[in-house]
Amino acid sequence: MSAPAPGAPVIEARQLTRRFGSFTAVDAVSFEVERGEIFGYLGANGAGKSTTIRMLNGLLAPTSGTARVAGHDVAADPDSVKASIGYMSQKFSLYLDLPVMENLLFFGGAYGLFGKALRVRAGELLELTGLAGQDAAITGSLPGGMRQRLALAGAILHRPEVVFLDEPTAGVDPVARRAFWRLIRQLSSGGTTVFVTTHYLDEAEYCRRIGLMVDGRLVALDSPAGLKRTWVPDRVLVARGQGLAGAAAALAGRDGVRSVQPFGAGLHLRVDPARLDEAGVGRILSAAGAREVVVDRAEPSLEDVFLAVVGREARGEAVT
Amino acid sequence: MTAPVRPSARVQLAAVFRKEVQQTVRDRRIMFMLVVAPLIQTVVFGFAVDFEVDRVPTVVVDPDRSATSREDARRLLADGTLLSTGEEISAEAASAGIDAGRASAALVFERRAEADRLSGRGQEVQVLLDGTDPNRTTVTSGAVSRFFSELGERLARERLEASGQTPPAQLRPIPRVAFNPGLATAPYMVPGIAAMLLVIVTTFTSAMGLAREREMGTLEQVLVTPIRPVLLLVGKMAPFVVIGLLVVALLIGVGTWLFAIPIRGSLGLLFLGTVLYLLTTLGAGLLISTVSANQQQAFLGGFLFTIPAVLLSGLMTPILAMPGWLRPLTLLNPIRWYAEIMRGVLLRGAGLADLWLQLAVLLVIGVAIMAAATLRFRRRLG
Ligand SMILES: Nc1ncnc2c1ncn2[C@@H]1O[C@H](COP(=O)(O)OP(=O)(O)OP(=O)(O)O)[C@@H](O)[C@H]1O
Ligand SMILES: [Mg+2]
Repeated sequence: MSAPAPGAPVIEARQLTRRFGSFTAVDAVSFEVERGEIFGYLGANGAGKSTTIRMLNGLLAPTSGTARVAGHDVAADPDSVKASIGYMSQKFSLYLDLPVMENLLFFGGAYGLFGKALRVRAGELLELTGLAGQDAAITGSLPGGMRQRLALAGAILHRPEVVFLDEPTAGVDPVARRAFWRLIRQLSSGGTTVFVTTHYLDEAEYCRRIGLMVDGRLVALDSPAGLKRTWVPDRVLVARGQGLAGAAAALAGRDGVRSVQPFGAGLHLRVDPARLDEAGVGRILSAAGAREVVVDRAEPSLEDVFLAVVGREARGEAVT
Repeated sequence: MTAPVRPSARVQLAAVFRKEVQQTVRDRRIMFMLVVAPLIQTVVFGFAVDFEVDRVPTVVVDPDRSATSREDARRLLADGTLLSTGEEISAEAASAGIDAGRASAALVFERRAEADRLSGRGQEVQVLLDGTDPNRTTVTSGAVSRFFSELGERLARERLEASGQTPPAQLRPIPRVAFNPGLATAPYMVPGIAAMLLVIVTTFTSAMGLAREREMGTLEQVLVTPIRPVLLLVGKMAPFVVIGLLVVALLIGVGTWLFAIPIRGSLGLLFLGTVLYLLTTLGAGLLISTVSANQQQAFLGGFLFTIPAVLLSGLMTPILAMPGWLRPLTLLNPIRWYAEIMRGVLLRGAGLADLWLQLAVLLVIGVAIMAAATLRFRRRLG
């Protein structure tokens, strides 16, 4: 029951493993999450994201390995862990047949809140999540974006130290997604640790650190910028100008050019920075007949990282 | 950071109770199934399940057509057990009528009925009976033999008196039936029917309720809260105990009004028995749902429990009529004990001193079932 020292990790997974029969869904995963951090957990369908979360919040016993959350051992003291965390499961799991307010009152009660304090807190959260005035609406009648925000409200009623959000924005429109992420950042700046899984790589950019899961294994863990440096050593360039389509062929096969792809009216290319730079690319394109050529350096996206990681894993699988 | 305080049990219990009430009263179908359906069924069954045998359709075959044979038939048919549906010309025709279902009994006089009787040779009357329903057959043949044995006795006495001799003293038992003097079926059956309907609706609602939460994923959201499993289960049951008490009160009201069921004992005692009974039936539902993966399995599980429980409760077949090895099983059957409490309180005016055993057995069964359900539920989380 001891509180973790300041600066100690809020989530600690040590060699967490979960097997279903002979299938290993999560394979010896270890990581730490720091206080107030937004920690992104990425991976393809079936990579083991939800299974990891379910082991961290006490819903699923690990086959082996240990986890500490909010200073408590999940296996030894699940009740203390549960009182310290909030959880939004991948599948919407508030009561669809109850009014919005009744859902909050029920879950608040389950966390031990009651009376006026609970009602005030529920009202506060409806306000925060943009659901003010929806108290009496039947939950099942809310559109997807509102449901997700209500689920978040239900998960943070008791001011947990850590919230686990399992694909909180799946199937939600871009505007609602943006609104949701504003809430996540607000939570995090208030000191709450956020552990979030997603399929949307643009969202992952908001995370302070990202863990990448492939087939049950955590294969990369770093900040978005760090991941890009490690996994995409090539320089990504964007060329704009006139007549690029005809000139693009001149780049193919040139020393230092890794890939060339048309991208809108321009070209997207990856080069080895040791052998070729922006000026070099400009010269080649101009010589091949393109005019008004401008070449800029672009930031690699997490998509590039993701493809690089999955690509290496696939090759690794093929070799062994 | 503050160390998490263990949430108050009372708050958690109240939250589950409130949520369950909200969901139940919002669901018209569940309310109908819980309250209206048992009421309608009790009324229908109360009228349908009538073990009194009367108005048995009977044909008369009277080739003699004499004054005595006609008088015998008239008086036999007058007592109400048998009801004349006409005449047939021969025993064969009457038998065919029974085969065809047009009659359940036939009274066949001999051609020389009157002559035989007057001559003192003795008269024979043949009775044909449909034996499909043994109870009905027994009662019908009993009525016919009682009539003719009384008639024979009277004739013998008249004959002795006519010859100047004193007839022997008559021996006649006079039964006094306590508690149900009219031997009406309804006061006995309606409490049993109520017990049966209550086990069915409450077992199914509690089994399906938890299975539905599992299927919808809401159970997972509840299980990440620090709620104690036993409070969750008790809180889910509690509203149905209240509804069950309401249903029992309604059924007794209707029973008193429609079937003249007496209320001789304390209703408080009956309600205490009802609460203990509901603990067992709702607990059984929860136990079923802890071994079911989805609502479909919970539904099948509900049948697997309620049908044998009803059949082996003594409501349908007397327990003494069951094979010896099966009888001890009825001791574990809550329906049996609850029916005894109901009948005891309503029909006999039994008090706590008479019914403590029944109440204690229900309590033990209920606590055991709840403990098993909680353990199973906890184990499944691991
Ligand atoms: N209870 C279970 N029994 C058997 N297999 C399971 C169970 N739960 C998960 N799995 C399997 O474990 C693997 C990982 O599942 P998990 O739900 O953790 O993936 P995920 O990364 O969350 O995927 P998604 O993006 O689709 O949500 C999957 O192949 C899944 O089929
Ligand atoms: Mg998942």
